[in-house]
Amino acid sequence: MVSLKSSSQKDDENPFQKGRNIKEKLIRSVLFIFASLAVIVSALIIFTLLEGSFNFFLGPEGSMLEFFFGTNWMPSGGDPSFGVLPLLMATLVVGGGATLIATPIGLAASIYLAEFAGDKVRNIVKPLIEMLAGIPSIALAYFALFTISPLFRVHFGASYFNMASAMIVISIMVIPIIVSISDDAITAVSSELEDGSLALGTTRWETTKNVIVPSASSGIIGSVLLGLARAVGETMVATLVAGSVANLTFSPLEEGQTMTAYMAQVAKGDIPPGAAIQAAFAVGLLLFIITYLIRLGGELITEHFTGGKEKKSHPFVRRAKERLERGWWRVKSILSTERDKVAALKNRYRKQKMGKVITFLCMIGPLLFLSYFIFNILRKGLPGMSITFLTSYPSRFPDKAGIFPVIMGSIYLISLTMVIAVPIGVGAAIYLKEFAPDKFYSRFLRRIIHNLAGVPSIVFGFIGYIILVEMFSVGGNLLSGSIILAFMALPIIEVSTEEALESVPDSFRDAARGLGATKWETVKNNVLPNALPGIMTGSILSLSRALGETAPILFITTMFAKNPPGGIFDQFMAMPTMIFYWTTHMKEEFQVLAATTIIVLLAILLTMNGIAIYIRYRTQKRRRW
Amino acid sequence: MSATAAKREIKTLEKGKKETTEETISIKNLDVYYGDNHAIKDVSLDISPYKITAFIGPSGCGKSTILRAINRMNDEISNCRMEGDIHWRGHKLLSDEVDPVILREKIGMVFQKPNPFPKSIYDNIAYGPKIHGVKDKDELDDIVEKSLKDAALWDEVKDRLEKNALDLSGGQQQRLCIARALAIEPEVILLDEPCSALDPIATSKIEDLLEELKEDYTVVIVTHNMQQAARISDYTAYMYLGELIEFGETEQIFENPQKENTEKYITGRFG
Ligand SMILES: Nc1ncnc2c1ncn2[C@@H]1O[C@H](COP(=O)(O)OP(=O)(O)OP(=O)(O)O)[C@@H](O)[C@H]1O
Ligand SMILES: [Mg+2]
Repeated sequence: MVSLKSSSQKDDENPFQKGRNIKEKLIRSVLFIFASLAVIVSALIIFTLLEGSFNFFLGPEGSMLEFFFGTNWMPSGGDPSFGVLPLLMATLVVGGGATLIATPIGLAASIYLAEFAGDKVRNIVKPLIEMLAGIPSIALAYFALFTISPLFRVHFGASYFNMASAMIVISIMVIPIIVSISDDAITAVSSELEDGSLALGTTRWETTKNVIVPSASSGIIGSVLLGLARAVGETMVATLVAGSVANLTFSPLEEGQTMTAYMAQVAKGDIPPGAAIQAAFAVGLLLFIITYLIRLGGELITEHFTGGKEKKSHPFVRRAKERLERGWWRVKSILSTERDKVAALKNRYRKQKMGKVITFLCMIGPLLFLSYFIFNILRKGLPGMSITFLTSYPSRFPDKAGIFPVIMGSIYLISLTMVIAVPIGVGAAIYLKEFAPDKFYSRFLRRIIHNLAGVPSIVFGFIGYIILVEMFSVGGNLLSGSIILAFMALPIIEVSTEEALESVPDSFRDAARGLGATKWETVKNNVLPNALPGIMTGSILSLSRALGETAPILFITTMFAKNPPGGIFDQFMAMPTMIFYWTTHMKEEFQVLAATTIIVLLAILLTMNGIAIYIRYRTQKRRRW
Repeated sequence: MSATAAKREIKTLEKGKKETTEETISIKNLDVYYGDNHAIKDVSLDISPYKITAFIGPSGCGKSTILRAINRMNDEISNCRMEGDIHWRGHKLLSDEVDPVILREKIGMVFQKPNPFPKSIYDNIAYGPKIHGVKDKDELDDIVEKSLKDAALWDEVKDRLEKNALDLSGGQQQRLCIARALAIEPEVILLDEPCSALDPIATSKIEDLLEELKEDYTVVIVTHNMQQAARISDYTAYMYLGELIEFGETEQIFENPQKENTEKYITGRFG
């Protein structure tokens, strides 16, 4: 009895296993540090933004009053002015407009998916929507600039750069966010409510519209806000398509510079040093705060307002509402052509049919966009594709130019990113899930990691550049690029690892612990092997996302890197930034090369995603618990 | 189902209220499958109008499934298949000609767990009538009041009809769900363990209510509680593993069961 007890006791109290104990403690501390890195990074980001903003506001050119209320943003020239309102306005028009377009479409699509689509349709459409979400924004920006924007120019007299095309394309990025979260929210509504409504003799459409969607409203609103945060933080489309002239206008047909686009302009080096660059800190801080607040709002609504509680309204308001309602009903009954129940029923079925058709179209629409996008890129880019293109070096002559060092740059970049991000992300998750699951500090850590995922990529890139290149003199090289991307990829890796660990049943842990294994031994031998497929899937997906990112490495990559990087301190060029430079090139031949490079990038991403999906599929089939 | 078929349905479903034989719900050789799971095995019985019929039996024996067959709620479960038929008022309820949407207007249902919509009390009750075409606000007010009175809830909530239904107690919520079912004026009410989530006081309120309801409605109830079945029902059906073991007047079933299996169950020796 006694010996049994001692082996299952807490290991750090076991006097016979000192060696194991020290190792255990060491590992625990390392994991703790990994988990805490996100806090340091977040603190650095906030500190750097604040410090830069202070410097700007306290500097000779900066003035808080002008910044927040000035209507003129003119960072260069003899008499620069820094009124952020034009940038804010463009951000509102582009980001808000995109969300406004995406919301009804995304909601309708999720309604069709959750309520009307069979399993077969779901199994096809959901991965396609995920694929849509995985298209790098630089590729969509290319498409917007050369395919959507001309439509607005020709048919609506828009300017060359216009916010409308940016809006459309960003809405395509927002739709998958709204669809996937709203679909979750709608399917989570209890079947009891659904049954309760159907049992009253209502059609499925009536049930969906009156009971299910209202019950899922908090999740739906949350999804819209997350989508809005994404739209507001989008950089590449805004830069390439909406323009880079700050312009205080509501009209989407005109050019406008968003906050992200201004920061990208700084990244490109188009901005004279001095106050104009310092202003980027203030813009970055504002952007950071806005996206943070939007996301926070979304999370609060999703978490705390489930079940759609009604607000208490003032009796006066209630009476007025009731009077209005009575009036409206009278009008309806006068206008009504339904003479009897039969006609009414026919009408109800007609509404159901219409609802089904409309929501179906909203689901298909984004997929049509996806196929047209792919078709279009293939048509433009394929002619430029050749072995020479893949194996030769960039050149001033389009017919000789190739992307060999660029591909290698991306491969090295993503490999190094993996080497940094995976151990940290997985380690953090192990710490949070296995070692300190429910403490206050781990909840705080989780929150911080979560928030890191919401920092707009251009802010990441800018701050990363400032910290790594200017503060720590790492240099504009492979290493600093990887570090930036690693911290962007980290949250997804952490979250998916935690999910994978979560899915390993506790009995596996108890069995090993019961045999006297330490916590780490248990995790290493019994938990991690079973969670491995989930960890790999999450890691591959987040790395593929990082591979397609442009904005965060815009500050780091350089056109002067003519050769593949030979070491981690070498300069480099990556595919997304190459696409960016070629898209903005004056010569049309180079724009074709951009499309060809997009094809290469998409092919690599598709392969990575395919591998991830295959792993997920195989383990789902093989799972035995 | 097409609208013309629906039209036929409505016409026939609405005529003739108290023709007793027509009113009987006749279940004939009913088989229900969930995929490969044969959940109801060749069950036949007649449910008498304006009486309370109780289904009892151990968990998983198919009580809910039978109930959900009567108002075609099983149609909503994708892998569920039904064979045999249920006759009511000269209709074959399981045939394609019966539109479940109309059928459910005539055969209401109350579920095990109270499931009020996250709306106000008023809107919960008004929901069905509104969809079924009540266009006049005063008429709707009357319906709400009458349904709540019939469900013995009116006095408790008349001053807070605008409050969210989720703020009510469990027993009140269940009576609200009954009121919600009554508001569309069904002919039959199916109740699937309506009291299993309630305390004794709330339960006795609902039992009293059911006694009153059978004056105007055919009531079918599933219950786990033997005393409840004995107390309130006129007929009792005992089921076991998907089969109907015994069916008869409640008194006979409880006092003089013909089958050993039945006796074992009601004396609490298993189940
Ligand atoms: N939606 C479903 N899908 C698959 N099988 C089901 C489903 N609903 C019920 N079943 C199966 O059908 C059989 C009968 O179930 P049913 O719910 O009718 O039993 P019950 O008598 O109501 O049980 P309980 O007293 O637990 O409510 C069971 O074997 C059950 O597992
Ligand atoms: Mg049941």
